[in-house]
Amino acid sequence: MKRREFIRKTGLTAGAALVAPYILPSGRLFAQTGSQIAPHVVMVMFAGGVRQQESVLQRYVEDSQDEPYAGNIMYNMLDGEAPTQKIVYGTGAGGINPIPQILNSSLQSQGTLFSEVTALSRGHYKGLNSLLQGSNAITQGLRQKPENPTIFEFLRRHGGYSATDAWFVGNGIYNSVPLLNYSTDPGYGASYGANFFAPNITFGGACENFLGDARVYHPENELDPIYQMKYFLDNNFDNYASGLGNLGNTENEKQQIKEFMTLMYDKTGNGTIAHPPISDSEDLRTVGYTCEVLKHFKPAMTVVNLSNVDACHSNFTEYTASLHRADHAVGHLWDYIQNEIPEMADNTIIIATPECGRNLEPNGILDANDWRSFDHSDENALRVFTMMAGPTIPQNLTIGGEGNPIGFTSDSMLTAAEILGVKNDVLNAGTLAAGTLSLFDRL
Amino acid sequence: MQVSKIISSVAIVLFIALSASCKKKEDPLFILNNVELYPNSAAKTRVKSDEQWVAILHTNLFQSALSSNELFQIGECIASIGDKELVREVIISNFMNDGGVIMPTDEEMRADLTTFITDTYTRFLVRYPSVSEETWYTNYIETNPYITPELVYFSFALSNEYLYY
Repeated sequence: MKRREFIRKTGLTAGAALVAPYILPSGRLFAQTGSQIAPHVVMVMFAGGVRQQESVLQRYVEDSQDEPYAGNIMYNMLDGEAPTQKIVYGTGAGGINPIPQILNSSLQSQGTLFSEVTALSRGHYKGLNSLLQGSNAITQGLRQKPENPTIFEFLRRHGGYSATDAWFVGNGIYNSVPLLNYSTDPGYGASYGANFFAPNITFGGACENFLGDARVYHPENELDPIYQMKYFLDNNFDNYASGLGNLGNTENEKQQIKEFMTLMYDKTGNGTIAHPPISDSEDLRTVGYTCEVLKHFKPAMTVVNLSNVDACHSNFTEYTASLHRADHAVGHLWDYIQNEIPEMADNTIIIATPECGRNLEPNGILDANDWRSFDHSDENALRVFTMMAGPTIPQNLTIGGEGNPIGFTSDSMLTAAEILGVKNDVLNAGTLAAGTLSLFDRL
Repeated sequence: MQVSKIISSVAIVLFIALSASCKKKEDPLFILNNVELYPNSAAKTRVKSDEQWVAILHTNLFQSALSSNELFQIGECIASIGDKELVREVIISNFMNDGGVIMPTDEEMRADLTTFITDTYTRFLVRYPSVSEETWYTNYIETNPYITPELVYFSFALSNEYLYY
């Protein structure tokens, strides 16, 4: 009898020893079944409403203002000659000095360009949601968190990625941007969400006053007792419900984030943030802080949101400057990954997609150069592109073109899911917009 | 004669009886002890907004209110960080580093733990501790020499119950 009990206990112990290492932070027993194509994805929500005519079609002011000056003002991302006249998008007085190219060869030549992609929305927030949820977000409210699970939640729940493996870097806190890091889906939610910073706010002067002088507590003698007492109080409080925004960072991850914040306040004060060579806009500074996030955490999934091009509602000149800077930002981001983060160089895939385009016809508002402005509400506002580059991505390949749209903006989310090994989980959830495919399936 | 005696006797008896029965009674005086009533934790069902949380926290720690401008700025700071528990922790750490937090000394705390624990519960959670809570805190503080009033205040400010009202 004793021998039988001994054998049973030994068996149970051996079984537990085999299984325990595979219990992931997400609670999943085994790692995802899909294999990774690459360990890191950086998705640039090239947002704010980018008009196809000034981006992929490289018409500068030829199409929009009826002036005979075409050219490529996004030469880090696209192949093509820059305009030679009427240059207003650069630096200096009147923006006459174009920002020098960062990348030796464009992302288009390093990867694949889907040059005519259909956006799922003409608006910003639904467009951003379609990029993160992969769904058409028809019933998505403007001041609501995503209705369907985001890419972050799929990765963390099904892929076993930790909280600091998923980052969303926003260029501000307005237009509901901070709501995008997790959904309200009852099966997913905050505990599978991404960490989020709006770094221009977090590390700006006002917040430094309230966040930048945190007392450092001894981890064992002080922090541990604080948490023990907190947990005691929490256990005695029955009403605690979800929805408090706790992302499930472990104590160790929280410590890492606090150290990162301290580092960022120091580097911001010293002027040593990894900003692009030109950093005179929010988008550019957002990308600078994104580089810092990448360097510090080496996340599996990083999403960064840009939006300064939305100036096009009333200022076409500023729109071209912002578009030129968004390209500069992406060029810097890719260059930084390849040259400053050895752990991510050569094993990161970048995906860049606008959330929506802009109208074909102007709205009647003239800027200081008497150039017409453009909103985003017509069919032309559904015309965008997607760029991707990195390991396994075919180089110097262009798919689709004017009059031959291929793919949807929601493809980017499923593509990221495939790269990081949770494509089947996303497909099984049934939340994707009709027609959505991984871009790998469109090659 | 006898009849009149009887009548007068009855009248006297009735007079006495009626006088006694009609005597005005003194109003009873009920005295209530002053008892401060606090809600229990189960009554707290609504989550404080970020601004409410930080405004109440500042008042609890410093016994003074934040300006509306500061409140707006801190609200933006909280919105700019995804992990709300983490940002609350950082804000409390910053307040604790400010130097103006009003709290008893370690000696004062340990000299009268019952009062300290009751005061801390009413200050932060607006309720009295249960017997088991008081016992747990008493034992925890007595057996842990590193515990200071600051750490206790920190734990209360960070608790889930403190997020509700």
